[in-house]
Amino acid sequence: MTPNERWTTIAVTVIILVITAPPAFAQSDTSRIDELERQAAAMLEQIAELRAELEQAKEQKATPDLQGLRAETVAARQAAQRAEAAASEWKDVTSVTHLSGYASAEFISPDNESSAFVVNFNPMFHFLYSDKILWEAELEFEVEENGDTEIGLEYSTVDVLLNDNLVLVAGKFLSPLGNFRQNLHPSWINKLPSAPPGFGHDGAAPIAEIGMQLRGGVTVGNQSKITYSGYIGNGPKLEGEDGEIHAIETDGFAGNADDEFVFGGRFSLLPMPKLEIAVSGAFGDVAVVENDGADISGDPTRDYTVFGFDASFQVGAFDLRAEYISQDVDDQAMSVAPGGGEWETWYAQGAYKFGQAKWEGVVRFTDFDSPHADDDQEQWALGINYLLTPSAMIKFAYESNKGEAGEPTDDDRWIAQIAYGY
Amino acid sequence: MKNTILRIIPVALLAASFLIGMLTVQGYVVAAEHDATTQADPMQFSRGAQTWANNCARCHNMRDAKSLRDDQWRVAIVHMRVRANLTGQEARDVLAFLQGSN
Repeated sequence: MTPNERWTTIAVTVIILVITAPPAFAQSDTSRIDELERQAAAMLEQIAELRAELEQAKEQKATPDLQGLRAETVAARQAAQRAEAAASEWKDVTSVTHLSGYASAEFISPDNESSAFVVNFNPMFHFLYSDKILWEAELEFEVEENGDTEIGLEYSTVDVLLNDNLVLVAGKFLSPLGNFRQNLHPSWINKLPSAPPGFGHDGAAPIAEIGMQLRGGVTVGNQSKITYSGYIGNGPKLEGEDGEIHAIETDGFAGNADDEFVFGGRFSLLPMPKLEIAVSGAFGDVAVVENDGADISGDPTRDYTVFGFDASFQVGAFDLRAEYISQDVDDQAMSVAPGGGEWETWYAQGAYKFGQAKWEGVVRFTDFDSPHADDDQEQWALGINYLLTPSAMIKFAYESNKGEAGEPTDDDRWIAQIAYGY
Repeated sequence: MKNTILRIIPVALLAASFLIGMLTVQGYVVAAEHDATTQADPMQFSRGAQTWANNCARCHNMRDAKSLRDDQWRVAIVHMRVRANLTGQEARDVLAFLQGSN
């Protein structure tokens, strides 16, 4: 073999070996890939295990929160149900009660007598059943000069709503004769701190009655209306003193010593809103049941009549009203107090609101006449009110009184009052 | 003569009260059934506002609807219906107005 052939042979062999034999580095990479694949598979297993553990941990951790959340949801739902029930309770319940009333504190300074503070408290109770029956009552608490507290039952009635136009009222009710006693006397409504002379106790206007009453109203057309009330009651008592009738007591009495009832009523017409014209009347028989401070019986009865007229009109900021009422008892020759008499009074009042309706000026004239000169009184009353709220006000008033000389009815007075209706 | 006239007035009032009341037909039970089936009246609120303005101030200052709760108004309006001789419809209208404004 020649050297060229030898080198050629060697070269071909090397080439063949290079071509056919796998390279050493290739064998090394394959093992690394296998190793990497094993490692990757192991890592995937670990990841899967970790993920499973994580999910398990999450579930374990979330379970208490989920339970709490569910409990809170249930509690919230129950609370909402209770709130809904409470919110609609007033609509569904058949019996409802309500406490209201009014109170006043005042300072009175007469020209010729000592000045003093006085206070009144009149709670009112309302018990309503099924929007058909209302029992209502008012108490009056008043502190007297000696410190005792006088308590009176102003009224206590069951009101049965017979239909849209008629209500049956039974019990002790405010006299429906006239307007002041039944609607205007509460201190938070009365625009002056005092009642007009003759509209208080032992005056000309009946105060209250125990008996039964029917009352209501009917609309006539779009703007007009009539109202009516009629009653039967035990009636008043006559109080004799020194052979005369001293006063007609009309506070409402449970007894009926004279065995005679009184019938009466009021009829009003409202030809247009805020204008009311009314007439009142009552009749019956009454007797003297108290004479010189002692109860008596058997005194013969005599005729008793009441006549009243009242009107009111509100226009703009003005409130105008007037009222007349008289009680008359006939003579009775066989009585311990044979002479009869007439107690009559009237007033006219004007009020005007100003200063964004926070202030109110009032003027009123009253003339009260009775069979006893020492009770007679003419009065001019001027007042200025400041309304803290629509139902709470401060009143300042001056009364110029003209009565029998030396009597309290002749004493001018300053009065300051705080009144609150609640 | 005066006494005769004065006696006629209350008798006439009593008779008129009975007559007017009875002529309105609706009895106690009928009225209750009527109330239970009363449908919503879209004009009731405005009627109530007008009735409230026309009637309350005839005697006293008008109180804010928010001065009482709805359930308290329910009682107070029945009290005022009796006192002011409101009709049943007027009372329901005013109640709807006050409760709707509360």
